[in-house]
Amino acid sequence: MSAPHWSERLQRFDRRWIFLVMAVAVVVPLFLPLGLPVKPDRMTKAAYNAVEALPEGARVFVSVDLDPAATPEIEPYYRAVILQLKRKHARLVFATTWYQAPPLLERYLRETVEVAIAPAGTEGYSGLPDRPYRKHVDYVNLGFREGKSAIIQAFGSDLRGAFDNQADDGTPLDRIPMMDGITRLSDFDLVVLVSAGSPGAKEYVQFVGTRYKLPMVAACTAVSTTDLAPYVQTGQLLGLVGGMAGAAGYESLVGKPGAGTTGADVLNIGNLVVIAAIIFGNVVFFAGRRHRRRGGRP
Amino acid sequence: MTALPLVDIVGYWIGIFLTFACLSFLYKDNPFYKLAEHLFIGVSVGYLIVLQYTDTVDPKVIEPVFAGKLHGGWLGLRIVALLLVVLMFAKALSARWSWLGRYPLAFVVAFYAGLQVNAVAQSELGEQIKFSAGTIDAVKVDLNTADPDAITALPGSSPLVAQKLVTERAARPFTSLDDAATRPSLTALERADLADARGGVIGLDARAAVTPGQHDPFGIVSNVLLLLGLLASLVYFYFSVAHTGVIGGVSRFGVGVLMIGFGASFGLTVQGRISLAIGRAYDVLGRTLAPADAERVHGPVVAVICIALIAGGIVAWERRRRGKPGDDGPGAGDQS
Repeated sequence: MSAPHWSERLQRFDRRWIFLVMAVAVVVPLFLPLGLPVKPDRMTKAAYNAVEALPEGARVFVSVDLDPAATPEIEPYYRAVILQLKRKHARLVFATTWYQAPPLLERYLRETVEVAIAPAGTEGYSGLPDRPYRKHVDYVNLGFREGKSAIIQAFGSDLRGAFDNQADDGTPLDRIPMMDGITRLSDFDLVVLVSAGSPGAKEYVQFVGTRYKLPMVAACTAVSTTDLAPYVQTGQLLGLVGGMAGAAGYESLVGKPGAGTTGADVLNIGNLVVIAAIIFGNVVFFAGRRHRRRGGRP
Repeated sequence: MTALPLVDIVGYWIGIFLTFACLSFLYKDNPFYKLAEHLFIGVSVGYLIVLQYTDTVDPKVIEPVFAGKLHGGWLGLRIVALLLVVLMFAKALSARWSWLGRYPLAFVVAFYAGLQVNAVAQSELGEQIKFSAGTIDAVKVDLNTADPDAITALPGSSPLVAQKLVTERAARPFTSLDDAATRPSLTALERADLADARGGVIGLDARAAVTPGQHDPFGIVSNVLLLLGLLASLVYFYFSVAHTGVIGGVSRFGVGVLMIGFGASFGLTVQGRISLAIGRAYDVLGRTLAPADAERVHGPVVAVICIALIAGGIVAWERRRRGKPGDDGPGAGDQS
């Protein structure tokens, strides 16, 4: 009995070797960064420009709809856009429609809003410094509301009603001066969607964005990018930041490299491994088929 | 900055342990993976129940109904909501009364269907058709007359650049793109951005001009391709005609377009999964923490201990299994 063809042996290749190679490809660049250049794509730049075009002290609604699994992809964008908004002294109103998000949102507020992200003298940062924001003066956290797309629709028509006219800590919104004149989403100068899935950017576009002609930008996981990109073409979203690669581009525009930029380095190596695996798989498949057609063992 | 509390440090250690417990599934299904899986489901469900009760059921239903805060019609609505919640349990509690559980389900399905019909028709069909049905002619943006928003949307531009170009053209109209991209009010960085974005196919030269009525050939080709791709994809899903001859050719083109779309989705899915791996690697190595906190967590050391613990545990578990009668033997449930 003849030895099996090399392509047949490789077709029984244990795929866990690929996982091991991928693990090495992910970990090694963290210790030996390559410093590959990061270039923002057009949709990312459009999202940046939309925030940059805001007037000083603009009122911005930030919907943080994500869970811990999505943080590697989306958190870098969140940190970059909050720095950009704080540089413009924007007044921020936070909310979430994801039940997993409140603990994350509270941490984000502690780490990025209540303290300066890039105070004067920050190493490697040449942009304008930001300052710590004060609760109920510069920002308000409305917290979580269940209801998915229905509650997003309620934000569009009656934001105060949707949150029982109170902030997350129970403070009546009527007693918060920065909330004066804000009753619905159309009262904001911009809606920023930090969106890991459903309900998120898609539902905001469907239920309130198109109906009230809201100026909205979004960041999403890489897998959602193809779903949301058509909304940028039609102008239903002013800009879109897709996945970790998009977040890295956004960090480069804001001028403060972070987890997205270092992650993009690793992402590039990971992509090369995947491309190599696809080529390898195809070579083995076609070599096997050629061998069989030439009369080799099936 | 305050130091990381002990409870958070222990939390990181548990996170590292559970990460490797999940990864141990690559060997095969084992007690460590099961522990992580069950813990995840248990914690998620427990958290969700408490959150839903404290954030929704208590303030929206229990408190208004039993504390007498609402009267009349509003009180009636909350009671109906409470009744629908109770009816949800009918299916689980009694086979005889299980039909009552259909009412809350019917209410929820009808409610969301009603919401979706209007929203999807408006945002998906209306807006997308309006965009797709636009002219296939792509006209270049005339830098001497265009509004700032149109200039902002150009490659290499920004709101500030657009503002400067509008001011510059008021003083002296642009004679060429080179002239526009090198005006003195632009900073060196802005000029470099515009220079980077130059290009006759998809760059600034393709999208902008300094005289009106110029056309963007690549843009026109893109629009035609969009139209043809859209029609061919629809033909693929039209089953009333046999897919042979011309229809077959168009249908195959449609399949090609769909495959390109799926390929883009697959590529981005892979990127997303690699990002998740990067996120876990960051956490395990303490890259998401401040340097002082990372030193207290000792992520890499904890990782080595966890790997040793899980590997040792799996070896012991395998030995015990092999000793039992009726065992499937090594490799049972192998994921390779």
